Amino acid sequence: MSEVFIFATLNGLVTGLLLFMLASGLTLIFSMMGVLNFAHASFYMLGAYFAYTISGVIGFWGGLLFAPLIVGAIGAIVERYGLRRVHASGHVAELVFTFGLAFLIEELVQFFWGRDTKNYQSPEIFDFALFSLFGQEFSAYRGFMIFIAIAIFAGLYVVLTRSRVGIIIQAAISHPNTVANLGHNVPFIFMCVFGTGTALAGIAGVIAGPVLTTFPGMATVLGSIVFIIVVIGGLGSLPGALIASLLVGLLQSYAIASDVGMPELLTLLGISFDRNHPLNDLWTLNLPQIAPVLPYLLLVLVLIFKPTGLMGNREE
Amino acid sequence: MSILTLDGVSKRFGATEIIRGVSLEIEAGENHAIIGPNGAGKSTLFHLISGRYTLSSGSINFKGEPIHNLAPYEIARRGLARSFQVTNIFPRLSVFENIRCALLWSEGYRYSFWKLLGKQQSLNAKARDMLEQIGLADKADLPSGELAYAQQRALELGVAVASGAELIMLDEPVAGMSHSEAENAVALIRRITAGKTLVMVEHDMNIVFDIADRISVLVYGEIIASDKPENIRGNKQVQEAYLGEVITDDNA
Amino acid sequence: MKKHLLLWAAFAATLIILPSIFDSVLGISILNQMTIWIIFALSYNMLLGQGGMLSFGHAVYFGLGGFMSVHALNLIADEIFVFSITLIPLIGGAVGLLAAIFIGSFSTRKAGTVFAMISLGIGELIVASSLIFVDFFGGEAGVSGDRTYGPPFFGVEFLQDSEVYYLGAFWLFVATLLMYLFTQTPAGRMANAVRDNPERAEFIGYSTRRVRFISFCAAGLFAGVAGGLFAINYEFITEENLNALTSGRVLLMAYIGGLGFFIGPIIGAIILTLMNSLLSNYTELWMLYLGIMFLFTVIFLPRGFAGFIMMHRLAWQNGRLKLLALPYCLTAIPAAAFVTALVGLIELSHAGDEGLHFFGIALSSNSIVSWLLLFALAAASAFGVKLTRARLATAWQAANGASN
Repeated sequence: MSEVFIFATLNGLVTGLLLFMLASGLTLIFSMMGVLNFAHASFYMLGAYFAYTISGVIGFWGGLLFAPLIVGAIGAIVERYGLRRVHASGHVAELVFTFGLAFLIEELVQFFWGRDTKNYQSPEIFDFALFSLFGQEFSAYRGFMIFIAIAIFAGLYVVLTRSRVGIIIQAAISHPNTVANLGHNVPFIFMCVFGTGTALAGIAGVIAGPVLTTFPGMATVLGSIVFIIVVIGGLGSLPGALIASLLVGLLQSYAIASDVGMPELLTLLGISFDRNHPLNDLWTLNLPQIAPVLPYLLLVLVLIFKPTGLMGNREE
Repeated sequence: MSILTLDGVSKRFGATEIIRGVSLEIEAGENHAIIGPNGAGKSTLFHLISGRYTLSSGSINFKGEPIHNLAPYEIARRGLARSFQVTNIFPRLSVFENIRCALLWSEGYRYSFWKLLGKQQSLNAKARDMLEQIGLADKADLPSGELAYAQQRALELGVAVASGAELIMLDEPVAGMSHSEAENAVALIRRITAGKTLVMVEHDMNIVFDIADRISVLVYGEIIASDKPENIRGNKQVQEAYLGEVITDDNA
Repeated sequence: MKKHLLLWAAFAATLIILPSIFDSVLGISILNQMTIWIIFALSYNMLLGQGGMLSFGHAVYFGLGGFMSVHALNLIADEIFVFSITLIPLIGGAVGLLAAIFIGSFSTRKAGTVFAMISLGIGELIVASSLIFVDFFGGEAGVSGDRTYGPPFFGVEFLQDSEVYYLGAFWLFVATLLMYLFTQTPAGRMANAVRDNPERAEFIGYSTRRVRFISFCAAGLFAGVAGGLFAINYEFITEENLNALTSGRVLLMAYIGGLGFFIGPIIGAIILTLMNSLLSNYTELWMLYLGIMFLFTVIFLPRGFAGFIMMHRLAWQNGRLKLLALPYCLTAIPAAAFVTALVGLIELSHAGDEGLHFFGIALSSNSIVSWLLLFALAAASAFGVKLTRARLATAWQAANGASN
């Protein structure tokens, strides 16, 4: 039992931290610009695809370096020539714009790279087990993912709280007009923040591509989950995003690893049930089955009972 | 008889107490002005009465019943209407629709989705009548967001008054207007609030002394005086609170 | 009032005549799809366009209505349940309404991002559940029924698509009329007011939550009616009809058509159905074009096609619409050429070794001449647009200037 638990925890941690890499960029963009970027996971997908192409030429590390830069540049262009124009029409229009962008990027990826799954592999130097517990191995690449995610969180935290840029950004979040009056170029800051946020998503894509497979649906798989995490954590709260990412990662991991369900529960309660009943699906429900539903359930519950999210204080 | 009674009302935001134990009685039918220096908490007081903010302590009674735990729409239904300092209308609806919406609840339409607005003769007549009164009859079909500033202020007033409320609260109704615009606005206010109880916040002392039967002075969240205009004018404490902005006959 | 009656009569007449004009199998099939999507898009507009609620999960009500309707078809076929096929949309509507009452009871407290997120969460929740509750949703394969086993309706057994069309057209007319009338009621008007300024709406006596809830329920009802029609038309339904794809599609329809106008979603539904049915025959890249068109609309025509048409109202009232005709044509010709060249370039780069036949011209992706030809056309037409744009702008000002 305990080895299942430990591995579920480790896997949950890896998933959670990966989710956080996406959620951190999304949070940064939202807290600066008030835009929930629906297309965020699409930039993550772009990161994986660019890294795949680049790594074929100059290897994994080249991909890790250049793919996020390309993705960030694309993000900046999207902000400058798309989002900024839509901004005047309000938040709903912005949300709709990023929704359309997600749709378009998926089509573009299929156009340029095709519909098939790409053979994007993690580098060979990570092809060893970091450690093994109870006969199960924990791969070095997963360790590397954890390391990168923690480095990003630490880096963001330091930049936002200690540096001059961070102070300007924090000020621009709460008082955009005042910051503009102080002579800072707020549109330019916005463009940079959007570029940085999407570049972070790009890094996540580069790293997750080999593990979660690189295919045109990879944005959809993660997209709404990440979206949901920033809402659960509280819009605009970086610590909230971290907590919610880990929460969702662990929750899903435990649910998948567990083997309890309604039959066990009903037996425990001493209730017998009829296999041929129309509600059979309900009686035989088990936790691994509902694992994919849990984040959404959590979201709905959080929004009903604390609409600002776990750590948030904004309510539009 | 008092229509509105505030008893020991206070409001804290975090550690700061913005309204500190305000007690006030508004008589039915009077025109009551609340004045005070910037930051005294006048708008906050309005928000507390109209239900936009909740009280930290104290009580507010309207027509003998407590209203301080009610949602804004419940307070509005009891006959307490208000306008806003910053124009607060329905910008994409036409001028006529703005007024008609303001009339709907008091005319008993509630959430009806089976009655057609176009066929409600008496409702539409009332809306047109109100448009005549606020002088916007010729702009009836224009989206209200496209009106000029003074016209939007008139509409703001119309929306507040249209519901037929007994007590009307106006938050700086002439702020930002030119002298002649303000004069028209005052005449309009007099005309359409005739016979009703009026509570207003206003900075322009000319208008305050012109309209008000009674004046309350709010300084740092406390009422320091509440009296007839002529007594307020001579009040030492009030003059000190205004730090040199001595209220003389000159600008009164 | 008379003008309105005339308009509705014209609408009814159009619905009756259409299948005689487009009488091919494909034509009827497209018309059938339109009846479904127009109702669905109009119901979506009750949320977003009229009520200011951005939903990413409106397909839930459409899909649930559809699933229940297919089950109803099966119950009718098994003679467990005696009911006319013609009234199936009522079952869909009832299910959509019930689901909306339940979900709306907690999701309509706020509009804006919170509402959008709850709708997304609920949508995903239902989709995930649909794969768990296989008995009701049929898993990935979905459930199917047969509309022809019901009691004949005055001899009509709905064996043919054209018979289904008239049934769909009837429900389209009824639903459109009811949704239009809703906009003219106190609840409908207050939905606009709450969209514009929820705070002020509270101060004139209305609970914004209740106002949103009513619109939300009405939208769920009509989405369910559309789902019922879907069930009759296709005789099967899958998880795809309640997932994010369908929710996104209806958002696209409403937005491209124009949110602020009652007719907008109708236009949007027609455009998207045509693209879906016709364009997909010519190119497998039609979704790419749809994506480009959607972003183009959001950026340049935030009020959609209907908004674009309405932009000409002032010129029309001034009686100067004709001033615009020639400049429009002059700009439209190079613009069309530009779009053609772009499409050609996109198609050519996707064509592979086989090349493609583009407007009767054989192009090859291996020949430099083909590429140069398209690039030259694109450059020349872009230049043409640039040249003629100034004239259009001048004409626009002249047409919209104050009349004197």
